[in-house]
Amino acid sequence: MVVNSFRRHVPLWLSLFAGVAAWEIAGRSTSAAFMVPFSETLVRLWQLITRGEFIAQLIDSAELFVTGFVLALIVGAPLGMLLARVRVLRIGIEPYIMTLYATPMVALIPFILSIMGFGFAPKVLVVFLFTVFPVLYNTVEGARSIKPELIEVAKSFRSSEWALWREVMLPYTLPYTMTGVRQAIGRALVGMIAAEFFLSSTGLGQLIMGASQDFDTAGVFASILVIGLIGVGLTRLGLNIEQYFARWRQ
Amino acid sequence: MADQTLTAPVSAGRQQAAASRWSGSFVPRLLTGIAILLTWEIVVRAFAPAYVAKPSTVLLAIPRVIVDPAFLQALGATLWAVTEGLAITIVVGTAIGVLMGRSDTVDRMIRVYINGFNALPMIIVLPLFSLWFGYSPATRIATIIFAAIFAITMNVADGARSVPREYLEVARAFRSPRMSVLTGIVLPASMPYLLAGFRLAAGRALIGAVVAEFFISAGGVGYYILYNSRSYHHDEAFVGVLLLAGFGVGFELLVSWATQRFMPWYRRDEKSN
Repeated sequence: MVVNSFRRHVPLWLSLFAGVAAWEIAGRSTSAAFMVPFSETLVRLWQLITRGEFIAQLIDSAELFVTGFVLALIVGAPLGMLLARVRVLRIGIEPYIMTLYATPMVALIPFILSIMGFGFAPKVLVVFLFTVFPVLYNTVEGARSIKPELIEVAKSFRSSEWALWREVMLPYTLPYTMTGVRQAIGRALVGMIAAEFFLSSTGLGQLIMGASQDFDTAGVFASILVIGLIGVGLTRLGLNIEQYFARWRQ
Repeated sequence: MADQTLTAPVSAGRQQAAASRWSGSFVPRLLTGIAILLTWEIVVRAFAPAYVAKPSTVLLAIPRVIVDPAFLQALGATLWAVTEGLAITIVVGTAIGVLMGRSDTVDRMIRVYINGFNALPMIIVLPLFSLWFGYSPATRIATIIFAAIFAITMNVADGARSVPREYLEVARAFRSPRMSVLTGIVLPASMPYLLAGFRLAAGRALIGAVVAEFFISAGGVGYYILYNSRSYHHDEAFVGVLLLAGFGVGFELLVSWATQRFMPWYRRDEKSN
């Protein structure tokens, strides 16, 4: 079994090794302004970490990400359930939500910048706008697919509206909301970096911008490597959360 | 004739049902739309500075903007870049996806990279791309491709993997050449997946184009929005946003139309109102 799983992963390790080797060779054979080898990137990354600025920027970004994400959850999930419960509201608002979901939110950044300026709040708003629609949309989808019988039974047992939400709506929609959360994680990361690029420069976005302005190519690669790893980690986390809650779904 | 008499009442009835459902949802939609616009108008008039876009002034700006040659040029540039980028993306992305789906070795070798790049927030490559391709439209195309390709590749790989085994076995039994298995079975079977991937990719390509234009100040709708909102012409800039939203919705409609038109057997679970 162990041998088997090891053998299954051989191609993965080989391909990772080949990728790193290709990166190293490409970096060594081109100008340092365009590309730096893997080894140099790691050295630079270690410098950034030990100098402490990296950790500070990471915390900065995390604060922005979490604030925007939590706000989007707090707004998106209950609103989604409300829309599913009140039919007129849903029919009325749904096309507008779909339109906003399909709108590239980055296009709103210049407006946010010129109206709200350079604070923490406008950046949170950007992350929020990137995040809220997948959560909202999936929650509505989930709440809409609740079997009418469930609600009818609850009603015929004279369940209160509050109990209906707590015992039927919430458990039923949670897996769908978590699908929204999984989709939202990727978008929230894009929103976070976009906010850090185009609004006031802070966090990981500032790290990479600063490096590119200083023509510190190794710094750029080091930042991209780290953000990539964070992206992969968060995506994994999102998938796990979704699968954990999917057990509730029949 | 017999056919017609049989089908006519059915389709008429269906049309009627569709019409009544449509008018049933039309009124609340219209009212909500009006309510949203009114709230926006009132809030901006009451609390925001005069330059902030509000529905009435945006509406007035529309005829002005859509005949503005600068805007049309920007629109053309962005649309062309997105089309070009998506065309390259579809060809290359499908090729890689089919390879991944049909060959376990290729899949194990590159899946880790495809997943990794897909999880990367695409806009962080902008500083790097602007370094590589300069402050030129090439950076925009590269960003569009990078933003869009992984969605297509991953979906096509899923599609190519899920080709029904029986089809392939029949093809092998009849000794079909590999090429015709590919074009006759694998590609058609992956089409719905390709379209689903395209739906994602088109949205990301649009975001990629706008972000690249912000970043490198290349002429296009994104830069038009940035420039106008910086110079406090929010109404004009907002027309650009409306247009982008229109593209976003347009891509969605295009994909669902194409799915229904060319792949009637493939139904995304129909939503009933």
